[in-house]
Order: sequence, then structure tokens, then C-alpha cells
Amino acid sequence: MKVAIAQISSILGRVDKNLDRHLELIEKAAREKADLVIFPELSLTGYSLQDLVPEVAIRPDCSEVMSRLLVASRNIDVVVGLVEERKENPGIFYNSAAYLSRGEIAHLHRKVFLPTSGLFEEGRFFASGREFRAFPAGSNRVGLLICRDFLHYSSSYCLLAGGAGLIIVISAAPGRGVLNEESQGFESSRNWELMGQAISYFSSAFVIYCNRVGLENGVTFAGGSFIYNPDGQLLFKAPYLEDDFSLREIDLDLIRKARKNRPYKRDDRPEVICYSLGRLLRKQDED
Amino acid sequence: MKINCQLVTRALTNFIKEESYKAGFERNIIGLSGGLDSTVCAYLAVRAVGPQNIFGLIMPFKDYDQEGVQLAEEICCLLGINFEKIDISPQVEAYFSGHPAEQPVLRGNKMARERMSILYDYSARLKAMILGTSNKSELLIGYGTIHGDLACGINPMGDLYKTQVRQLARYLGVPEKLLSRKPTAGLWPGQTDEDEIGFSYEELDKILFKLVDERLTPDEAIKTGLEEKKVRQVAELIRKSEYKRKMPPIAKLSERTVGHDFLYPYDWGK
Repeated sequence: MKVAIAQISSILGRVDKNLDRHLELIEKAAREKADLVIFPELSLTGYSLQDLVPEVAIRPDCSEVMSRLLVASRNIDVVVGLVEERKENPGIFYNSAAYLSRGEIAHLHRKVFLPTSGLFEEGRFFASGREFRAFPAGSNRVGLLICRDFLHYSSSYCLLAGGAGLIIVISAAPGRGVLNEESQGFESSRNWELMGQAISYFSSAFVIYCNRVGLENGVTFAGGSFIYNPDGQLLFKAPYLEDDFSLREIDLDLIRKARKNRPYKRDDRPEVICYSLGRLLRKQDED
Repeated sequence: MKINCQLVTRALTNFIKEESYKAGFERNIIGLSGGLDSTVCAYLAVRAVGPQNIFGLIMPFKDYDQEGVQLAEEICCLLGINFEKIDISPQVEAYFSGHPAEQPVLRGNKMARERMSILYDYSARLKAMILGTSNKSELLIGYGTIHGDLACGINPMGDLYKTQVRQLARYLGVPEKLLSRKPTAGLWPGQTDEDEIGFSYEELDKILFKLVDERLTPDEAIKTGLEEKKVRQVAELIRKSEYKRKMPPIAKLSERTVGHDFLYPYDWGK
């Protein structure tokens, strides 16, 4: 399987211009025979939206923007980041990731963990998603996560329990920390790399992380997208801070091999986890 | 507190280039004093957009800092950037001849605002974005003139402590004679920042780093071995100068008010 990672910047609040760039890159990826092209978190809108959120929201069931992306996804799978508003829930906005395949929306993941502290204020403008669910796409089982979702390891666990062999993380992670003199990138990039390595190895799954670049309001997005294979080995690393469009072949058979050699998936006991969490929650209620 | 100079340079040159471009400017303008902050800023700007797109303004008051003026001219020549020297004495003196003031702070503020006014005029004439040169140490203790040297289009230097600016200056190849100069705001002949603030930038930055970056309370910072009197003094300076780091409060009346809940990003549509 050939994967394209579009480590790009977006124009804040300009869905029209961002859509053009998406269509251009989807076409490019398809021309280069990629099976899947991945864009960063909120790639259609930009990240620091504040009161722009309602203005740039997309209704997946009737949006012209979505129709054009779906047409572009007939021959190549596409992951994009968008502000989603649902028909059945108007006025409620989600920071979402859409997996488009064969001209249809295969899955929509709504970001669950909305960072709302320090320089982050997502909880002021977005509603929180309520589920992590692995889904089928072609012959794969895929899981989608958005940025902070990935730093809570329980999210990836749900995808492992759901059988995902491909964990796709789209991100708009700002770079922070410049005191490490050895590092090529910001110190905060380490969070993602550490988790990427651990989750890929212990889930026996590919972890594909697509982070954005560029600046918004003085904040630099760190880039440094990567792919870890199911053995926890780094397969690809995009440069920090720079625009990048790269293609990599990933060998899906490695998922099978890894799960055969290290049967974490086979030996997983989601019912025990579920029971333990259920008990914990009931006990908390009693307290 | 040592920084990764290569990474910082990359981030800051990207910042200058991208934020200026997004605001519709291809060029940048900097007020140059011959001090470290404005010099480092000029070095970064030249790396970001090239010397042909940088304009330096040197704005002396009388002969208060002749050495600084000379160094600023040397830096412009060294970097190959166009510059102009504008003596601000006539307009500042014209004002004070009608409204005399002896306090150096009043005179210094007026000078800083005169320079700001010229920078904004040149910004419009040359269609050039003003680069601010206030560093993190100054911003945090409020050592700057509101609507004076604190005013700018964008500020690449504001998240670097003075001691980190010094480290970056070495990395960028700023001449040694500039590095060894005592920092001065040029408020009167022979004035130095450190005499006026009451302690060295090394001491100040260590305290600020504990209080701000490490989020320690003053009591916790004192327990790490820092001098109590100085820690309390710095904490108080930070508190008292918050107004210099904010837009002025707007009296809220309606459901949606600028500055309160009319919330749009600075880079809106860019």
C-alpha cells in the first residue's frame, strides 16, 4: 500500500482556497499511484479559528466542498480535517477527521479530547466526540485520531481492541520548547514520537502521524510527520517546520507477522478492561 | 536556559517571512540603536527576507549614545541594508521647550514615542512591516515605553530572554564589540539598563525563568536558592506591568464586545 502524507499549512478561515490545494494534492497523489493521502487536523479551515468555527463548518451530507472531495476520492482514499456540523444536531460543531473512500464517507471521527489550557482553547468552540471506533477500509481496519486524542493512550487502546492495523493521527501540534541543543525540532515533538513508537509496537499496527506546518498568530506548527511500522520501527520522518509531500510504500503483511510473533492483540482482554473501567466508574459514582 | 540556536533561527526567520507576507508586506523596517536586540533582529531579518528587503532607521537624540549610532551604521553596512539616520532632537526639544520636564523617564518616554511615530510613518511610506525588538526580560518586567519601543507590527524577539539573545547573537556572528557593550536604553548619556533595574540580566533572567517558564510561585523560587528580595521585586514588577502587555480594557455593555467575546484570530483569512 502506498501512502502520501501532505504536511502542509492552511489559510485560516479560507475553505475555498484550502479546498483547491487539497484537490491539487489529491490529484498529485493519485498520479503517483498512492492508495491513500492524508492531510493534517482542520486542514480545510486552519486551526486557530475561534469565532470563525460556525462560519467554516461543513455539513457532510449536503456540502459542496464535501461533494468535490468525494469525487476526488473515487480512485484514492483521502483523510481530511474539517469543522463538522451534523444535520441532526445543528449549531453543534466538531473538530472532525473524515476518511473518504470510493466516493463515499467511510468514517467520521469527532475529536474526543479537546485541549483547553495554556494556548489551547478548543473546548470553548467545539463539542467533544463520544467514540473511538476502528472501521473497515478496503482490506484494512483503520482507526482515526485527532492530535491530542493520540496523547491519551486509552484512545489507541480502543482502536487496538477494534482490530485496527492502521492508526492514522492527524494533527495541528504547535512547536514548543527550544532548550534542547541536540534536537532538530521543538521539544514538544518528542511527545508524538514517543507515543508513536510505543503504540505502533504494542498494537502491532502502523501509526501514521500527519502534522501541519506554517504559522498562525505567531505560533509555529512543528511538522515532523512520521510512520512507525508494527515493529515500532521508524519508516518515515518528514522534516520539522517545512512543507512536505512524501510517499511511502507500507507492507501490510507486517501487521500479520508482528501479531503472530508478539500476540498482544490475541491475548487482549477487552472484557476485563471494560469490567474494570465499569467498576471504577460505578465506584466513583458511589463516592 | 541555553537555547538551540539553529532551531530558534529557523523558527524566527520563518516567523518574520510568513507573518510579514501574510499581512501584505514584502519588506521590513527596524529601528536600530546599536544595541544587541535590534542588531540580532536585523541579522534574523536579513536571513529571512534578504538585505534588499530590510530598511534600518537610526534615530539618535543629541549625542546621548554616539557609540550606539556608530555601531548601528556599521551593522547596516556589514549586513548590506539601506538605512537612514534621523535626528529626533528638534521635535523632542520643541516639545520640552514649551513643557519642560527634568525627570529622565518623561524625557525617555517622549523620545521612544518620537521614534515609534517615525517608524510608523516610514512603515507606510516604504510599505514595510515594523519588527519589534523587545525581548522577554523587558516585556515581563515592563521595561519599555507603552506606545513607544513596545509598539511594532510583529515581534520576533519577545520569547527570548536577554541572556538568550546574547547567545543567539554569538551564533549569528554579531561582532564582539557589540556583545561586550553594556545594554542601554539611551535615556541619558552613560545610562545602563542593569544600573537602572538594579541587578544584572543574568540574575533577572534566572528569576524570570523560574517564575514564568517553570511556573514556580515566588516562595518556591526562593527555596531553589534565589535571593528573596530580588524574587519578590521581580514578581511585583511582572504584576504591575501587565497593562503594558495587553490591549486596554473595553467597557462591556452589549452581548458581543470587541476584546471580550468578539474572538477572531490575528491571522484571519491569511
